[in-house]
Parts: sequence; C-alpha cells; structure tokens
Amino acid sequence: MDNQIIINEDIESPTDPEFERLKTELLTINMGPQHPATHGVLRVEIQTDSEIVVKATPHLGYLHRCFEKHAESVDYRGVIPFVDRMDYLAAMNMELGYSIAVEKMLGTEVPIRAEYIRIICSELQRIASHLMYFGTYAIDLGAFTPFLYAFQEREFILRIFEEISGARLLYNYFWIGGVWNDMTSDQLKRISGFVDRMEGELDKYHNLVGLNKIFIERTANVGVIDEETAYSYGATGPVLRGSGIDWDLRKKRPYSIYDKFDFDVIVGEGTQGKLGDCWDRYYVRMMEMKESIKIIRQALEGIEEGPVMGKVPKIIKLPKGEIYLRTECPRGELGYHIISDGGKTPYRLKVKSSCFTHVSMLPDLAPGQMIADFVATIGSIDIVLGEVDR
Amino acid sequence: MHDQWASLINSKVNGANATVNSAEVGDSSISVEASKIKEVCQALKDNSFNVLQVITGTDYVDENPHIEVSYILADFINNHEVILKANLPRENPELDSVVELWKSANFLERECFDMLGVVFKDHPDHRRILCPQDWEGFPLRKDYVAAKEYNGMEVYPEDKLNLEDQGFGVKTSANSISNKSPMNNGRYS
Repeated sequence: MDNQIIINEDIESPTDPEFERLKTELLTINMGPQHPATHGVLRVEIQTDSEIVVKATPHLGYLHRCFEKHAESVDYRGVIPFVDRMDYLAAMNMELGYSIAVEKMLGTEVPIRAEYIRIICSELQRIASHLMYFGTYAIDLGAFTPFLYAFQEREFILRIFEEISGARLLYNYFWIGGVWNDMTSDQLKRISGFVDRMEGELDKYHNLVGLNKIFIERTANVGVIDEETAYSYGATGPVLRGSGIDWDLRKKRPYSIYDKFDFDVIVGEGTQGKLGDCWDRYYVRMMEMKESIKIIRQALEGIEEGPVMGKVPKIIKLPKGEIYLRTECPRGELGYHIISDGGKTPYRLKVKSSCFTHVSMLPDLAPGQMIADFVATIGSIDIVLGEVDR
Repeated sequence: MHDQWASLINSKVNGANATVNSAEVGDSSISVEASKIKEVCQALKDNSFNVLQVITGTDYVDENPHIEVSYILADFINNHEVILKANLPRENPELDSVVELWKSANFLERECFDMLGVVFKDHPDHRRILCPQDWEGFPLRKDYVAAKEYNGMEVYPEDKLNLEDQGFGVKTSANSISNKSPMNNGRYS
C-alpha cells in the first residue's frame, strides 16, 4: 500500500532519506457500479491525490434498456408501463407527463375528478420521492436513523398507491384520458389524516437532520453550483432552485390543473453557506414537501364527484406531428418529445431526463473535493439511474 | 413567435435558411441548414435562450431517407421554448458540436452519437455513452438489427424466447406489432 502515499510538494520534505524514495502518483479508483453512495448502478472513475478528487468520469449505461426503441413497437397505451420504469421512485410523475402529452395531441378532455386524483397522486409521489432522498442522503453522510423515519412515512404512501393501483412502485395508474380506478372517500380521508401528521413530522425531521451541526458542516459550502453553471448544464428542479433561481414549471407553465392551487416556489437562499451548496438543495426538497402538502389539502377540498375516465378512441392514433411537453418531476423537468407519423405506435419517443443532465455536472463539481464530499455531492443531486440510462 | 425567431436567425446567420414548420396540432419547429447549426445556436443563445434541453435525432427511412436532428432550446427568463431541426444524410451524418455554448451538450451529443451515429465535430470526448464502447450499430436507427452474438454470448437464444409473450395477447406469433419488436432480431418476420 506504500505507493498510495503522495507527497504534497508544498510541505517541506522530512529529513528522513527513506521518505524521498516513496512513489508519488495519482490513484484511480472505481466508485461503483455497486457502491451504495451512487444510488444505483452508476460507476464513477475517480482519480485521487490522497483524499482529494482530481478528476471524475461517470460511466453510464448499466441500466440501459433502450426503452425508446421498445416504445416504437408498442401502442400508445402500452408505453405507460415502460415510462414507469424510468424513474421508479416517482412513477406517477413519469406517467403524468406522458399522459398529458398524448392527450394534448389527441385533444382529449380529462374529467375534473381524474385531474384532481392525478394531482393528489403526483404530489404524494413527490413527498415519497423526497423522503427517499432524505433517508438515503442521511445514510450517505453517516446517519442511519433518519432513513427509518423516512421509510415509515413513505410506507403509508406506497400502501395507498397499492390499494388504488395494485402495485407499490410501478403503477400504470394514469391512463390516457384519466386514471384507471377511482379513489374511495375512505382513502381520501386517510390521505387527509396523513398530510396532517406529515406536516409535524417534517418539522421534526428538519430539526433533527437539517439543523444538526454535523450535517451542516458536511453539506454547507460543498458542491456549490452557481447560477451560470446551472443554466449551462441545463439543471432543473430542486438543483436549479437550490441555486437560487425561481423556476418551477407548475407555476411558470402550468399543466393539468396546477393553476388552481396556491403554493410557493422554494428557492435556496444560501442560509448556511454559499448559495447553491448541498445544504440549499436539501432545504429546497424539505420545504417542497410542505408545499406539496398544501397542494394536496386544496385538492382534497376541491375534489368533485364524477367519472374518472374521458372519451378515448379504442385504438389511439395520434395525428401526424410532434409535441414536446415538460412537467415538473421530483428530480427535475421531464420532457416527452413524441413524433407521430399518424400510426398507432409512436414513430419516435424521446425522453428528456433531468438526472441525465445532472450527472453530466459531476466532472465539473468533483475536482478539488474530498472523496467524502464528493459522495455528499452525488447524493445531493439525487439521481435515479433508471432515468439516467432509460 | 416562431416567425420572429426565424427572421432573427436569417438576419444574423448568412445562409441559415430558417423556415418555420407550423403545426396545427402539437408544436411548431424551425428548420435550419445543418452546416450552420452552431452559428444559429449562438444567435439564439444571445437572444436569451439560455438552456439547451435536448439533442435528439429521428431516423427516416421511407421516401426521403434522412436523419433529422432536433435541438430543443428553452428560455428560462422569458419562458419560451423552440425546436430547431437540421436534416442530415443517413450516410456519414456530421454536425458541429455546440459544447462551447452549453456544457450540457457534452452528454446529449454523446447520446445522439450512441443512438443514431451522428458525429459531432470538435466534441471534447466523443465516445458512446449508454451502450458499451464495443457495441455495433446504432440502436435507434430504423434498420437496426441487434447482433446475434455479443462478446461470444448468444443474444436471445431461441430456446429461451417465449414467442407467445411477444404477441401481446394475439395468438398468432406473426402479428404486425411483434414483427417490429427489437426482441425478434428480425428473425421471425
């Protein structure tokens, strides 16, 4: 192991002649593809100078299934289970964007009750996804307990989703024209009870983790993404908002019925360190959950009785043309670019994945960081490899 | 808005030849000359299109074979988005890289090369990204047939394929949808 020791030239050489003969070179380490800190199967090849990262190169593709090619061979309804499998922690949001894109091309009216159910499900999914981030990020930084707290609450959401759709992760619940199944009043009541409890829990989590001295030391001033870098890399979602940019598609380009709801867009303020550091991104996500709770409350008040499925032709054929539609998912903007040639399968379906663009930031953020800080940075951009590789 | 941007491109870039493809359903787009794509992007970037969202390609094999590369740009300040299109020949498609303008283009161009074989000139790290480096062919081309063997391993061995699953409930294994499936390797069509 001797060859790992590297002499820093700034330090005065010790007088011991043995020391002079030690080899100095950069050490290349593979982080992943099975490293717990990479949240899936991401391999980052890092060159280190002792504990400092000099260069990081992400290697993607371990989860590549070429879903875009598969989508060309199934009909428009059949694509929905595939989109579930991109970001498997936020499958409802994945379905929402796709359904809206196809409905826009078809000109389908979605019944108002279905719209409300969609909003409730998407926002619950956002909370579940951010809770996952909260739990695993704390583990990345060496704290295990928050993970258990987070999973306890996430479990409630997954149970509700299991009741309405039959699956815990990959739902196939939003269909083109509405949702597959109605929610019962009992389920709505339980969701209402859950959000009431969740609000208090979130304060508890934030006090426990976010304001913890060790957590602040580990995350403040680490992995700083400034405004220019964020724009240049096409960052979206909490990463962009963490850099202090007020941009949320739910406000700026409202889709579904988001324009009916009153909520705030949370942006990072650089409270604990520089603007755009890991702590700011943590803060944005934690506070966003509260805004989701606000939206769910309003949706539960406003939901009306009625059908949950609109009129959709038996065989869906989109008119010739193309559409690019973006929605705000827990990890950033998701865009569907559908090109139709008038047939019953998409001619080309391209997905703009926010995680993919966020991963491309890593080579820029890594140089000069400690290895442990690099782990904190990967965790803070919150990637899901299913969406990166598609 | 598209007309305005098209005339802006034409006034700033000589020979860009920007034309608007206006659509009744869905989104309109602007077609530009492929060789001028970098200048066009620069002109739009100066006009506050500050985010490059997607670089993607579509392969057309029928009557007029070509590859259409779409650049989707977004303006996060005035809240606009625009689809730029450049047509390339199917043989040796080449474009100028826009990595100098937006760093996000690095991975996006690599993906476009990996999936469709479009070469981006002056790209700093021109490699495949999602497929392994020794992969053959470009998966999202319409005439792509998966190799029957990869590194000595047989791909989809016939005795392990469940043909009934591929018909999506239709009993005859030779229905129109399953024939197009990449799982078939073109073997059962």
